[in-house]
Amino acid sequence: MSEEKNVLSRRTVLKGAAIGGAGLAAGSALSAGTASSASAAGADIHWTTRGGGATGDAIAKAVNDAFTAKTGTKVIAQQVNSDDFQNNFAQIMQGSPDDAFGWMAGWRSNHYGEAGLLADVTAQNKALGKSLPASAVQAATNPVDKKQYIIPTTYYPWGLHYRKSMVKKIGMNPESIVHWDDLIKMMSLTKKNGLVAYAMGDKQGWEAMGTFDILNARVNGYKYHIDLLNGRAKWTDAKTKETFKYFAQLIPFMNPNFMDIDWDGCRDLLLQKMCGAMMMGSWFANDFKAKSQKDYDDLWVVPFPEINKAHGIDTIDAPLDGISVAAKGKNVEGGKALAQFWGSKEGINAAIGAGDTNIYVSKDFDTSGYDAFGKQKLAVLGSAKNIMFFADRDSRGDFAGPILGPALQSFMKNPKNVNKILENTQAQWEALPKN
Amino acid sequence: MSMGMVQDEKYRNNQKRKDGFISLFIGIFAFVWIFPILWTVFTSLRPYNDVISYGIFSWPRHINFNNYINAVKEMHIGIYLTNSLIVTIPSVILTLFFGSLIAFVVTRYQFKFNLWLLLLFTAGNMLPIVLTYIPVFWMFLWVGDLFGNRNMLYNNYAGLILVHVGFQVGFATFVLSSYMKTIPKEISESAKIDGANVFRHYWNVILPLLRPALAALSVLMSTWIYNEFFWALVLMSDDSKRPITSALRRLQGQYVTDFNLLAAGAIIAASPTVILFFVLRKQFIAGLTLGSTKG
Repeated sequence: MSEEKNVLSRRTVLKGAAIGGAGLAAGSALSAGTASSASAAGADIHWTTRGGGATGDAIAKAVNDAFTAKTGTKVIAQQVNSDDFQNNFAQIMQGSPDDAFGWMAGWRSNHYGEAGLLADVTAQNKALGKSLPASAVQAATNPVDKKQYIIPTTYYPWGLHYRKSMVKKIGMNPESIVHWDDLIKMMSLTKKNGLVAYAMGDKQGWEAMGTFDILNARVNGYKYHIDLLNGRAKWTDAKTKETFKYFAQLIPFMNPNFMDIDWDGCRDLLLQKMCGAMMMGSWFANDFKAKSQKDYDDLWVVPFPEINKAHGIDTIDAPLDGISVAAKGKNVEGGKALAQFWGSKEGINAAIGAGDTNIYVSKDFDTSGYDAFGKQKLAVLGSAKNIMFFADRDSRGDFAGPILGPALQSFMKNPKNVNKILENTQAQWEALPKN
Repeated sequence: MSMGMVQDEKYRNNQKRKDGFISLFIGIFAFVWIFPILWTVFTSLRPYNDVISYGIFSWPRHINFNNYINAVKEMHIGIYLTNSLIVTIPSVILTLFFGSLIAFVVTRYQFKFNLWLLLLFTAGNMLPIVLTYIPVFWMFLWVGDLFGNRNMLYNNYAGLILVHVGFQVGFATFVLSSYMKTIPKEISESAKIDGANVFRHYWNVILPLLRPALAALSVLMSTWIYNEFFWALVLMSDDSKRPITSALRRLQGQYVTDFNLLAAGAIIAASPTVILFFVLRKQFIAGLTLGSTKG
């Protein structure tokens, strides 16, 4: 009797669960069905803005509206957090991705392009024609399959930042920090004044790569650096060790708490006149402007000084951003058309009209309105003939962050261990899966 | 007599000293706990420029509510709050419903596999959710493709609700079953004798008695699901469908993050749970001690 009841009760439970589950599924099918049919009927294009807050939304709206006005195709835009998008990129691209989005050149587009997640936009780059400099197109090309998975749009320089007034105060000319010896002299004098001479914050592990990149390029040249980051040269080579000898010279001039602060900790040091120089991407000038115009006018950026005459200052870290198209989006052709529009003169002008302060690679980009610091940024970019994208885009993703970052951290903590650290780095590179 | 008085006094002094120590300790710990929150409030009232120009520990030059005004403007708070409610309310109701059903069966009836069933649900609780992320992701896509609509579960509220229910129902079962064990067997027996069928037994007899436990659990679960960020991030590709925790991510830039604005946003996003806690404080504490006085 009671057993029978038990059986019944189990059925009731199961039935309840089934009804609940079916209800859920039906509900979802209903709501999703309407959404998907709507986007399939019209040839709408979906667009993702990577960060940027209200300004980012405004820029996307301006460009996409201009596209709609020109072609009559509606663009549905959304904004996502830049880090979240980057960290979940593979899953997002395999799920139901938006058709076009801002993305990064280098390993991050080449790798996902090869994996079949990004669409080939070689034809779109060709259509943009002469407005794109050959170097930018070259930089956007996957060296393996020679296809392009990104339409290059903007970039920014990594350079040595300092305050002109502080350099004058120690009796040097802020316009002529051009040689390694100048930098050493500047740092020594700054240190004598009781300040941090070379601001470093490497809590996240990527910040010090900027210093390493440029030192290696200055000492051994662009080609060796790229070879090293892609396994064609060794971390245990004498040439690599030479770079680390220069790196070791910088360490006594750094703030001892470099493991505790982020890049913005360094910026605060410079903003508060507590450090002499800082090697960083030039993206924070607005923070100086926000403090006062005087502080902004005081800020200066120069190419990292020359070390080896053979290479001069011919190389710079200038990460290139652009527009990519999802291969598994619902409207790949529409995405390509929209991506091309973002790289065209009309698109660029619409973006700048909406408050975009980025430097575009396009020759159609008008820089006549630039102030002194903006012009200097362009000059720094123009000084180099080889463009690196930063170690974490020039090398594979499972090497830069997880292996090189910690290696640089332990080197700065204990520079005497350099040989062991480099051996370790090389061994870890060799242990990576070949793909 | 006088001896006793002295002893009493000694005892009282001793007690006083002990109380003093305890108060001191509680004070220190309370301060340690409350300090980050106070610091967040302090940070949220200062302009960003003030902090980066003069340092985090500098004396504030300006104190105002501008960060709150900007945060509300930037966060699109209405959309995200609605999303949070769309996800949280059905998740909590379904979790409690399924949890109580299972708990009812495993405590009111004797099956051989009762203990195993309970263990299974509790053990599932121990699994770190990040481990299950990729399988869940592929399963959602696969189920969607099976029905010809990729977004049936992935990038859909229903999928998110399902995941929350799936991961919370184990804990709900565990708590509800240990609470149900405290309900005397005689009640069930008399219900059966009076001719109640299984569902009536569950719905009209046991469920009303579960009310305090359900109230406590619903408060706990609402807080957890409301604060959840991971699943919403990985299973929703449309930002416009993500919950309030995602609104905070809007305030973080690619390079530059205004931490003062973020602090204001965090306080705004946290306030509903804090208010919920103060309104339902009793249930919350009951929830923490639930089942600890099992008979």
